[in-house]
Amino acid sequence: MTLPPILRRWEALLLLMLVVIAGLNIVYSPFYLGVGNIVNLFQLSIEKIIVALMMTLIIINGEIDLSVASVMGLSSCVTAYTFHAGWPMGWALTAGLASGAVAGAINGFWIAYVGLPSLAVTLAGLIGYRGVARILVEDRAYGGFPEWFNQLGQQPLLGPLTFSIIIFLAMFVFMAVVLHRSAAGRLVYVMGNNVQAARYSGVRVKRVKLLLFVASGVVAALAGLLYSARLGSVRGDMAVGFELDVITIVLLGGVSIFGGSGNLLGVGLSILVILNLRNGMGLADITGNTQTSVIGALLILSVLVPNMARGLHSKLQGRET
Amino acid sequence: MTPATGQLRPIDTAAVPPVLEMRGIAKRFGATQALEDVSLTLRPGEIHALLGENGAGKSTLIKIMTGVYQPDRGEIRLAGKPVTVGSAAEGQIHGIAAIYQEPLLFPDLNVAENIFVSHQNRGAVTNWRQMFREAESILASLGVALDVRSPARGLTLAAQQSVEIAKAISLNVRVLIMDEPTASLSAHEVAQLFRLVRDLRSKGVAILFVSHRMEEVFQIADTVTVFRDGRLISTRPAAEVTPQKAIADMVGREMGLFQRRAAAKKGEKLLAVRGLARAGVFEGVSFDVHRGEVLGFAGLIGAGRTDVGLALFGIEPATSGTIELNGAAHVIRSPRQAMALGIAYVSEDRRQLGLSLPMSISANISLPVLARYLSRLGLIRTGEERATAEAFRKRLSIRTPNVDLAVGKLSGGNQQKVMLSKWLNTRPALLILDEPTRGIDVGAKAEVHAMIGELAAEGIGIILISSDLPEVLAMSDRVLVMREGRQMAILDGDSATSQTVMTAAMGQEMAA
Repeated sequence: MTLPPILRRWEALLLLMLVVIAGLNIVYSPFYLGVGNIVNLFQLSIEKIIVALMMTLIIINGEIDLSVASVMGLSSCVTAYTFHAGWPMGWALTAGLASGAVAGAINGFWIAYVGLPSLAVTLAGLIGYRGVARILVEDRAYGGFPEWFNQLGQQPLLGPLTFSIIIFLAMFVFMAVVLHRSAAGRLVYVMGNNVQAARYSGVRVKRVKLLLFVASGVVAALAGLLYSARLGSVRGDMAVGFELDVITIVLLGGVSIFGGSGNLLGVGLSILVILNLRNGMGLADITGNTQTSVIGALLILSVLVPNMARGLHSKLQGRET
Repeated sequence: MTPATGQLRPIDTAAVPPVLEMRGIAKRFGATQALEDVSLTLRPGEIHALLGENGAGKSTLIKIMTGVYQPDRGEIRLAGKPVTVGSAAEGQIHGIAAIYQEPLLFPDLNVAENIFVSHQNRGAVTNWRQMFREAESILASLGVALDVRSPARGLTLAAQQSVEIAKAISLNVRVLIMDEPTASLSAHEVAQLFRLVRDLRSKGVAILFVSHRMEEVFQIADTVTVFRDGRLISTRPAAEVTPQKAIADMVGREMGLFQRRAAAKKGEKLLAVRGLARAGVFEGVSFDVHRGEVLGFAGLIGAGRTDVGLALFGIEPATSGTIELNGAAHVIRSPRQAMALGIAYVSEDRRQLGLSLPMSISANISLPVLARYLSRLGLIRTGEERATAEAFRKRLSIRTPNVDLAVGKLSGGNQQKVMLSKWLNTRPALLILDEPTRGIDVGAKAEVHAMIGELAAEGIGIILISSDLPEVLAMSDRVLVMREGRQMAILDGDSATSQTVMTAAMGQEMAA
């Protein structure tokens, strides 16, 4: 009647979903298993999944960062603006990354040191940073970046892998080590579980929170720049709405929206599930809107199933002989 | 299935037919037999105390009575008729209600709304005036003066308990279960609560009273039932039991109530506090702590004892006064700084402030000094972390299958030991223990007491904040008494008696 512990885990369910989806894709599309398709599958959402890695830490910490997509837009626009103002591309990129750090620090200050809820602060950030981005570039589309920059976004660098994919893979490993093996990761979990207990244990909770949001800003800025490189041009409305896809990925990965639990393996699997699902539906000529609905349904499931399972479990505990 | 209430029955109420009978109740969770063939009888107008160590089966029995759990075997009879209690709502219909250690009120609803919250069946529009009037009359019948229009937020714990009782009365309760209702109350508030309870008894309510505080049980109970390991060991009239006898039943062996700690050799002066104050909270606190000394902090709840501890640990820094450690003055502004100075504070609230419950025992123990467990690359050496936890598990006999288990899965006493381990692992010179034995069972309590003695003997200076007066008296070399944010007295071992300490705590004049 009861499942062995390993199968009760959310990750097991994700893996099962992945196998089913991949299986269907293989059966229905001859193109699916091609190296080109696999690379493409990652490449199309690469910026979102990079941001999702950092979002995992933020949500486990018990917070949320709604401003990531706006920060992506901000960093791209700052880079485009300064580049067209005559700065060398290297400095323009640095300025873009720095704008992300500043945006993250502003978020972090209000959340950690003033004590405002991150939902409100980063919602303000979502609007405010987008506003700054639009002011900088107005209604124009900036292109004309150096050739090396555009190639960075498109060309395979290592075998079939592009620069962005290499960054993603490296970040995945780095984040997994940070979250699951380092002191910083331990503090992220402890604070997500019980921030008061962390404080009473001498953890500098304000500093940790501030640094997390700065890191989130920098990662989002980096993702924004990779996105500009891929598109070859920059506009004020770049990446609008991406934050929802990012949060969807993280929650589907089994990270609790209340903080304190979840892991990067789940998020990795969730990324694969969503990418393969979208890819498969794309290959099957299912429209984007339908794809979005299916993923929305998945998200609801991801919140419902663990809760229902827990409810059922405690019912059984209470009544079972 | 024979009724197994073979023990002696309370003399005064034996003639009255029982209101609630539990017969041959059994309940199993997985591999654990939580209850085995338990038969318990509650009579109207009886205060029936339930004693037992944590895990003895008291909570399971209460949850079966209130419909949270269903028994595997056995039957429940209400006024002679067999019933099933399928849910807490059904329990209420049968007139069975429970009050817990932490009152479960809605902080933003007013007192009257809280009283009628579960049966506010008053049509589409609330007749506020009628509701307020009814609430007032219930509270008046209890002799409690509370504004029924004020929100529950901000009421003292004792006032919240009164509201819970009023709620139970409004439900025409026949059986009232009180699960450690006094654990967070001061002595004065306990007296008030007991007046209410006796009043209910005189109205014919059967009261099941669970408490770890022996003196309270014997103060109020008519009948005492002891549980051990899921079995009912004895049911006797309170007059025929002594605390020692009851404890012997609980632990299965004779045991002293509180052994007075042998005074350790007093070392050099460790801490000197002069005129310490935090504006609006406490003031004029001056004392010394020597190495190897236990300084007890006595007083009622809210006297400011915890606030002094929080100031010393830098959580809520003092606003004036001086703190000297080993002769050097320090202004302590953060827990980190306090830890660096060798101060550790074991919080009174282990669930909210002390432990990260979903995390492992070893992760909790290493948390304050995580830096000690890092490799050169900044990664946690989990092997070493686990080894530390193992060492503490042996030293404090923490009962757990392994140290990777989530702390939240342990019993209260074992959680307390993990918290103690966590702070001992910081190798403190000064250990502040805030209510270290609250809500833990007798066995674990004795172990914590033994540990305090050992630590003092090792030369650690200890501040013991406790509302358990016998505990403070037994463990302390000297006792500092606080009342309403002021230091009332520091009493020496011999002059500290329950009489002198309570006199100071209640604000009576002290003979010089």
